[in-house]
Amino acid sequence: MAELKKNVGQTVGGFFKSIGGFFSEFGTAVIKGDIFVKLSLLWMGAGYARRKQYIKAAIMTVIQAAVILFTVKFAMEYIPKFGSLGTVKPEKVFNMKTMKNEFNDYDNSFQILLFSLFSFVVWFAAAVFWMRNVVNVYKLQKTAEAGKHVNTFLEDLHAYKEEKFYVTLLTLPVLGVVIFTFIPILLLIFVAFTNYDQNHMPPNSLFTWVGFDNFLSLFGGGGLTATFGYAFVRVLGWTLVWALFSTITTYIGGILLSLLLNSKKTRMPKFWRTLFIVTIAVPQFVSLLLVRNFFSNGGIVNTICSNIGLTGFLRDIGLVSTSYIPFLSAPGWAHVMIILINIWIGVPYQMLIATGVLMNLPSDQLESARVDGATPFQIFRKITMPYLLFVTGPALVTDFVKNINNFNVIYLLTENVYTTTNQAMANSQAKEVDLLVTWLFRLTQDYYNYKMASAIGIVVFVICSIFTLVAFNRMIKGDREGTYQ
Amino acid sequence: MKKMKNSRTSTIVLHNLLIAALAIFWLIPIVWLVCTSFSEYSGMNTSTFFPEKWSAIHYSKLFHPDSVAQFPQWFMNTFIIACFTCVISTMFVLMVAYATSVMRFKMRKPLMNMAVILNLFPGMLAMIAVYFTLKSFGLTNSYAGLIMVYSASSGLGYLIAKGFFDTVPRALCEAARIDGCSEARIFFQIILPMSRPIVVYTVISSFLVPWMDFVYAKMILNAGISSKYTVAVGLFKMLDKSLINSYFTLFCAGGVLVSIPISILFIIMQKFYVEGITGGAVKG
Amino acid sequence: MKFSKKVLVSVLAAAVAVSPAMCVNAAEEEIDLTLWGAEEDQDLLKELVGKFEETYPDQKFNIEIGVESESTAKDTILTDVEAAADVYAFASDQIYDLQKAGALADLTEYDEAFQAVAGKSIEDVKNANSESSVEAATIDGELYAFPMAGDNSYFLFYDSSVISPEEAGSWDTLLAAAEKAGKQVGMTLASGWYNAGFFYGAGFTTDLNDDGTTSMDWNGTSADGYTGVQVVQSMLDIAGNASFMAIADGDTSNQIAAGGLCAVVSGTWDAQAAQEAFGDGYAAAKLPTFTVGEDQVQMGSAFGYKFVGVNAYSENIGWAAVLAEFLTNEEAQIERFEARQIGPTNKVAVESDAVKANAAISAVIEQSEFGVIQRVGGKYWDPSKTFGENIAQGKIAADDEAGIQAALDNLVEGVTAPVE
Repeated sequence: MAELKKNVGQTVGGFFKSIGGFFSEFGTAVIKGDIFVKLSLLWMGAGYARRKQYIKAAIMTVIQAAVILFTVKFAMEYIPKFGSLGTVKPEKVFNMKTMKNEFNDYDNSFQILLFSLFSFVVWFAAAVFWMRNVVNVYKLQKTAEAGKHVNTFLEDLHAYKEEKFYVTLLTLPVLGVVIFTFIPILLLIFVAFTNYDQNHMPPNSLFTWVGFDNFLSLFGGGGLTATFGYAFVRVLGWTLVWALFSTITTYIGGILLSLLLNSKKTRMPKFWRTLFIVTIAVPQFVSLLLVRNFFSNGGIVNTICSNIGLTGFLRDIGLVSTSYIPFLSAPGWAHVMIILINIWIGVPYQMLIATGVLMNLPSDQLESARVDGATPFQIFRKITMPYLLFVTGPALVTDFVKNINNFNVIYLLTENVYTTTNQAMANSQAKEVDLLVTWLFRLTQDYYNYKMASAIGIVVFVICSIFTLVAFNRMIKGDREGTYQ
Repeated sequence: MKKMKNSRTSTIVLHNLLIAALAIFWLIPIVWLVCTSFSEYSGMNTSTFFPEKWSAIHYSKLFHPDSVAQFPQWFMNTFIIACFTCVISTMFVLMVAYATSVMRFKMRKPLMNMAVILNLFPGMLAMIAVYFTLKSFGLTNSYAGLIMVYSASSGLGYLIAKGFFDTVPRALCEAARIDGCSEARIFFQIILPMSRPIVVYTVISSFLVPWMDFVYAKMILNAGISSKYTVAVGLFKMLDKSLINSYFTLFCAGGVLVSIPISILFIIMQKFYVEGITGGAVKG
Repeated sequence: MKFSKKVLVSVLAAAVAVSPAMCVNAAEEEIDLTLWGAEEDQDLLKELVGKFEETYPDQKFNIEIGVESESTAKDTILTDVEAAADVYAFASDQIYDLQKAGALADLTEYDEAFQAVAGKSIEDVKNANSESSVEAATIDGELYAFPMAGDNSYFLFYDSSVISPEEAGSWDTLLAAAEKAGKQVGMTLASGWYNAGFFYGAGFTTDLNDDGTTSMDWNGTSADGYTGVQVVQSMLDIAGNASFMAIADGDTSNQIAAGGLCAVVSGTWDAQAAQEAFGDGYAAAKLPTFTVGEDQVQMGSAFGYKFVGVNAYSENIGWAAVLAEFLTNEEAQIERFEARQIGPTNKVAVESDAVKANAAISAVIEQSEFGVIQRVGGKYWDPSKTFGENIAQGKIAADDEAGIQAALDNLVEGVTAPVE
């Protein structure tokens, strides 16, 4: 734990140090720069114009103009309303002549939130860009004063193929991530602090800030029914159990299967491997929906079980109270079945990975162990297994996090099939087999309860990050990167 | 001596039998899928494993579209989307991987940490925001919108490729730099050719995304125009309560047809998967 | 511009007087409309839209027909009201949520345009359709949708070669007859739509409040003097009978086809499946009575309709309203019945011989007398589904009155919880 603290401390400390460095660089540039550097604060092209880099100056001017235009035309439409998230509800008048409705200029809280955040991100980027620009202009000034060569535009451009090639590489991907992942996530974090739900749905109604109310009803509550706290604890419990079991079972299963397939005794290993791979090649929405019908209350497996008398037997010993075996429709049964079905889906993947790792086993170690007379089992325990764990350990952590968020398996296997018999769970729209993600998905899709879903999403994130931090710090001592390079 | 050989043969037989048994177990649902798709009955068959009457009628129905099932059209849509997604995603992934693996710059660590953090958020939650973002660009119900959703954030999945690039000997890059190669040339002429497994792996896995996803596609293609659906959405809609009884077998047939090309890709990919994913993990 | 407006208004007034079908807006502008209907309705809708365009030849239309199941329309529409179709079909239980989210236009506001174009008033439409269907489409005195189909409810299908019409009259005789035949009677219990039938029959109610919450009295005593506990006991008796099959929601047609049933509670959408399964014995009737205490009580039902609504955010809302009415007028309803055996709400269409000869629709009409328009909010469904599942699985003992009362209290607490 101390180590974790140190590590986090370092990361955070380093982060602030680099921010501090950036600001002091900027400060120095502003204070020590000549009049054109200072002028660059107002007109971003000034410094370049002074050094006769006219094209660059023009580009900077255009960028500056674009940001100003963006601010006036777009950002200022939304940001002033950010504090209230809108006040004007839609009103309409029907125009007989055009047979159309004429609407007033109404507010849409969601749009205000989304576009405000978008504007903040643009402004933030613009601010950083603006500060960097001053620093760069100051550098340029110093270069020129030292009588060194001032780059031409082409030379500057050339740098993006050379030492600044990473800028060329990263611009588009980062832009994509910012627009399609970063801003949406940011937005949902903000929604957790609003009352965005079915009673406050844009465009017809407005929603507004409510502070920590949603988190209070998630953790507080008390009482038995209609509180999210009750369902939350249970769903969280199953989420963790599921993530643990599904990760471990497929991991071990994958290793065993790959050992089996890669054994010298196996005839036609490629053929067998291909057969297993076919099961993962069928899209999950096909294979899982099929398996779900396979095991449904009136499905084939149940028909067969009752024909061979298994259902009757289970009922006699009291394991089943219904006329069918509730494979996917009763707690307990469903939990076990879901993990088993997940083994079916997940083991071939893990088998492929384990196969690759096994191929790379350090053969000299194996050889010397064999010479020393170690049994195959000893070799497995002392050499193969530690090696596998060492190599795939980090992947195990990411798998765990992925399973916490494993939407497909749970959703496809239980949606519309599983009915909870726990009234208190039902009152919070949860089921015993829900993961936090499927629960929040249903809350948004069927109940438009975005505020609670967002609050749950933040909790999922916190859990995942705590787990990842702890696990990575335990498993990976130091930075392994470059060890083998 | 002879006895020993016998026991060896018998363990080999047992060993292979065990594998065969497992393989059969693993294939039962797939076999059921194929069998059901050849059933004459169009609803769900719950009493017998094999269909009562065999027929390929549902396959021919797939190619004679009605208002519900427009399989050839869906297949084309998905194929087009998949091609674009594949090109953009692969580029993004390789670009990010190269920048973070081979190059060193100030923002490298912060960016990588940021990527780890973003990956921890449940993506389902961001869906509605992604939808409205697309809508404000007017890109819902369009190929372009779906392609963006599938590929724009693909840079976040750079880790495996980075792991692989890490294994390429740095000396090679250094030598090239001394020879006056630009970074761009190192990327295209040294690193990429040496990373065939990971390139193939990235290409195939990004190509498959649009074939598998039904959640985002359902949300973005919300105009109800079934000729615009992807295969996944179209097939998924067949399981609607009011349709399942007349379209279940068709769903199975569609599932089989989608699975065939994907299976072939997977079989090609397995070699590269093994080399690519683990090559990175082992050495990096 | 001003001049033309004046001219237009006067022309309009004349048009109303002279030719009802005259177009208000004879402009060149093409009217874009989108229309959502069920998968099975697509061919019919195409035909009706064609007729619609012929009816108004002076106006150019560009009408796009999309697929959206009536039962899931709400889910898609509420995600983004502005992107939803201008005109869409939906099941009547969604009307409150849709209206609340502003997804439904108040049709009376467009009465004027309507009269000018279609030549009839909203009042005429109201009069043309059955009173209860109009009532179900009305919120706070305003009409929010046009009734399209009047058979969105459940009743009893049975195999008359096994069960006599008298035996189909009550659950007791029904189950006994089924046992004799070695078959089962099926019904979905794990759904607040189906299981409410028992409570409505015994005089219990549900209601929707202005704030979106639901009120429910099932844990008390009904107007007819029965207690909720008695009703649950009766349901438990039925569910515990070996000849009763509790069918999972949505699995009914599949179970009918499987062949183990001799009677089933379902609606017209399963008529074809039932016809195939029961063959010549195919028959339909109102729901049976069930035993509460000493009495035989007629089962009620949640009676629903299929509506066509107009999106309040529609770009061309006037024309959208005209199209919506066109899709639900007398001719359209007759055509829909002929194409898909769907029960009409139009008073003339209902009286036609063909409709009367249809066993399923007759049964629906017979049951409608005991039907209740189910007014509930979003918090109703999950708790009541779980409650039904508990009964189906026999999780509560029939003789444990305190346990039943506690379960009912729990249910009511969940259903009546404030909307988040």
